[in-house]
Amino acid sequence: MSRIDAKARHPLRYRFSLTTICFTVFALIVIPRLAGAQDSRAAEIAAEQSRKATDLKAYQPSGAEKWAIRLRREFIDLPSGFYPYFGSVYSGGGFTLGAGFRQYYGDRTHWDVKGLYSLKSYKFLEFSTDSWGHAQGKVDLHGRLGWRDATQVSYYGLGMDTVEDDRSTFRLKQGYVGGNMNVRPVRPLVFGAGATYEDYSMGSGQGNVPSIEEIFTPVTAPGLGVSPKYLHTTGSAGIDWRAPGAGYARRGGLYEVRYHNYADQDKTYSFDRADGEIAQHIPILRETWVISLHGLVQTTLSDDDQVPYFLLPSLGSGSTLRAYPSWRFRDRHSLLMSGEFRWIPSRLAIDMALFYDTGKVAPRWDDLSLKGLKSDVGIGIRFHGPVATPLRIELAKGSEGMNLVFGGSAAW
Amino acid sequence: MMTKHFRLIVGTVFALTVTFALQTAGPRGAAPKFYSDDPLQREPETQDASKVQEWEIDLFWDLAENLFGNPGAKRPLVKSRDVNTIDEVPNSSWFTNRIGTETLSVSDVVRGPLTGDGPAPGTWSVTRPKEAGFAPGFTMKDAKGDTWFVSFDANGFPEAATGAILAANKIFWALGYWQAENYLVDIQPKELAIADTAVVRTPAGKRRQMKQSDLEDVLRRSHKSPDGSYRAIAAKALPGRTLGGFRYRDTRPDDPNDVIPHEDRRTLRALKVFGAWTNLVDMKAGNTLDTLITENGKGLVRHYLQDVGSTFGTGANAPREYDEGWEYLWEGDKVMKRLITLGFFVQPWQTVNYTENPAIGRFEGVEFDPTEWKPRVPTAAFVRARADDNFWAARRVMAFSDDMIRAIASAGQYHDEAAAKLLADVLIQRRDKIGTAYLNAINPVVNFALDGSDTLTFQNAAVEGRVANEPASGYTVRWFTFDNGTGNTTAIGSPTATTDRRAKAPAGLPSATGAIVKVQIVGTDPAHAAWAAPVDVYFRRGASGWALVGVERLPDSVSERKP
Repeated sequence: MSRIDAKARHPLRYRFSLTTICFTVFALIVIPRLAGAQDSRAAEIAAEQSRKATDLKAYQPSGAEKWAIRLRREFIDLPSGFYPYFGSVYSGGGFTLGAGFRQYYGDRTHWDVKGLYSLKSYKFLEFSTDSWGHAQGKVDLHGRLGWRDATQVSYYGLGMDTVEDDRSTFRLKQGYVGGNMNVRPVRPLVFGAGATYEDYSMGSGQGNVPSIEEIFTPVTAPGLGVSPKYLHTTGSAGIDWRAPGAGYARRGGLYEVRYHNYADQDKTYSFDRADGEIAQHIPILRETWVISLHGLVQTTLSDDDQVPYFLLPSLGSGSTLRAYPSWRFRDRHSLLMSGEFRWIPSRLAIDMALFYDTGKVAPRWDDLSLKGLKSDVGIGIRFHGPVATPLRIELAKGSEGMNLVFGGSAAW
Repeated sequence: MMTKHFRLIVGTVFALTVTFALQTAGPRGAAPKFYSDDPLQREPETQDASKVQEWEIDLFWDLAENLFGNPGAKRPLVKSRDVNTIDEVPNSSWFTNRIGTETLSVSDVVRGPLTGDGPAPGTWSVTRPKEAGFAPGFTMKDAKGDTWFVSFDANGFPEAATGAILAANKIFWALGYWQAENYLVDIQPKELAIADTAVVRTPAGKRRQMKQSDLEDVLRRSHKSPDGSYRAIAAKALPGRTLGGFRYRDTRPDDPNDVIPHEDRRTLRALKVFGAWTNLVDMKAGNTLDTLITENGKGLVRHYLQDVGSTFGTGANAPREYDEGWEYLWEGDKVMKRLITLGFFVQPWQTVNYTENPAIGRFEGVEFDPTEWKPRVPTAAFVRARADDNFWAARRVMAFSDDMIRAIASAGQYHDEAAAKLLADVLIQRRDKIGTAYLNAINPVVNFALDGSDTLTFQNAAVEGRVANEPASGYTVRWFTFDNGTGNTTAIGSPTATTDRRAKAPAGLPSATGAIVKVQIVGTDPAHAAWAAPVDVYFRRGASGWALVGVERLPDSVSERKP
């Protein structure tokens, strides 16, 4: 086929080829530049910045970040408003759920309403006001108006020889109003004073064990049947250099004495009590381990005073004899000694402890000897922050078996 | 007529199709390895960033995310993207080349970022108490009306925080970071007057007029000198509008010039080394600050490292915790081991000896291992630091001479000479350990030159730093021509050996202007296996001779990563 013939049969071919070539060459030269290919490093970076300039936007936090910020603002930062509240209505009341509302009305002063309800139907309601940092940060003032209802508080009788099967319960309702102040004139000195009007209303215990009046008499349960009203005044003095804080300490100590005067409005059940407490935290190898020692003595000052059964010094659960249930031992005097071998898996959040508790209650001061002590051993895990221990879980074993303790504060 | 238009359209479509195919199907092609402006000496910032808005990075989230989210480990570990083709970091709004690249005298370093004489003497006008951080302090105006952020030593810890800020400020300035100007001042309470406009944020979260008692509250938390004065650091207000801190990951989405993920910036990765040297444990977004400045009529974001006083052995309020610098705040495996062994899983920080000085805190260099050093919380940039980033940083640390370090320590203005000596001694010890660890972890050849007689010279950073000897079997040098368009190389001659770090090129080097040669250098020494990894060096022939245009120490992407 000749060239002429081909042209004749395909009249578009020649022009098409020229056009194509021209456009292709043009495009190969020009289009890369138009499309963003660069001939210098600076231009390459500039192009990237130019592209971003067309798509600027404000930072958008992720869902998790939004939640974290919200939780922090509502529960940590915002000093006023609602907050969840987990505490204890009364020892032995079990898990609680609660909430509070706080409102500041001064720089460091707020009022607070909070309530709790426990698995055992214990109830608690309190209106309070707290004001910190007066007198150049040395004085804190607190006021309380509250009411609690503990429906099944245990009572096993007096002394150390009671048996578990003697367990009974009583119901304690307490209304109170009062105030106290804490003073730290110079570190590490601490002083405290307070006065509270306490109105007790005692009744039959609930639950599936006998009520106290079914087993005990006013001889074996002093004050049984009465519902006294007290003006309760306190005074304390001590030295406190626990660190990082009293709510979570790895070093330092507390040495304190406290005086209580319970002035019964009917004069019958007035009494005075003194407490002496020692806590010492001994760090080992840069707080890899901490030996924590604790001693607590509570003594009714006059043998002639009558102390109602529900205000007697007691031992059991909490941070006392942890293998024993709450209020397991009661009498006019008590002695408690505890020791913990603590290790710190995480300075940020976790402490562990092996512990040993021993103690007794006694009818007379002279009986507070080291004979006839009840003891237990156990292991605990504590979830803590820099200066507080919001959760303490401990498993203890004593002569009456095992006991699991949940606490919302440090052991001491 | 239709036919003519049809031809035109078909031809255009075909041409565009072919062009598109060539542009996209081939190796990206056509982009050369080296551009004419390589290596860049300044990172371009071409866009106006004046619309950037202030933001607040949540401290709690920042900590939790970095501690538990491990954000830096989610992408392949790539080469830092803020380096130029010779593996150096150009100047930018993040970084300024100083020590290691510029000639700095001891007095230059001691002066650091200071440009003036400090606050004007006279009465201070207090505008508000310091709200960020733990150190007590105020925002104040001096007698001239300039704004200063003043922070004191914590009560019971004289000279600790202020001394650390003074010394660290100069170190990080010399290392190349944007730093505030920090001056040491002594303030008498009678020199403090509360401004009429001064406000304070109460614990209740409200703002109100500042009172004398608020001022006294701050002073009560501060250390009072025997003469009744308070030693303090006055930090000059930064130029521009403050925008909040920067994250150690991702980019700022409203800054058009911020196109390199922060975790891939060498300047931030290098804090793994600089932080180890100075014990900068409090590495968080809250200790950084962006400001919007105007340059040449254009808004640009400048990135400052703040609160570098969180260094050495002391914090704002007390000596460091013993585990700081040794462990993250949370390491699950160590927590579990300690938990099940009753704490008998003992770590080095539990037994290391400190010469505890109240002004310096817990800072030591004997047991210090830079490869094991950890901040409180790992940032994305920290975990993505590669051997070439660490090497780059270590060279800068090693550029601090003993005299320089002792002068910096003295600049802390400690009354106890033993404090300055301790600080300097430990910094020197830690510097040398950093050199040993990181200069030897990679082939340390540096400072390449190819002269007019085609003779290559280079140096060994580890040898220069006196942390290694020359390789026992010397160096092997291989020569190649390099096609900048295709990346193809062709060997020139045979490999040559050298022990004096000089190698004459074989015959056949290209002579055309713009030609590029690649030189591959390895060191052979059984004691330094890492030196056997070749460093590729590229020279481009220009009108005045060969110029260094490229250095490659590691591949762009490496798989190994130490979390």
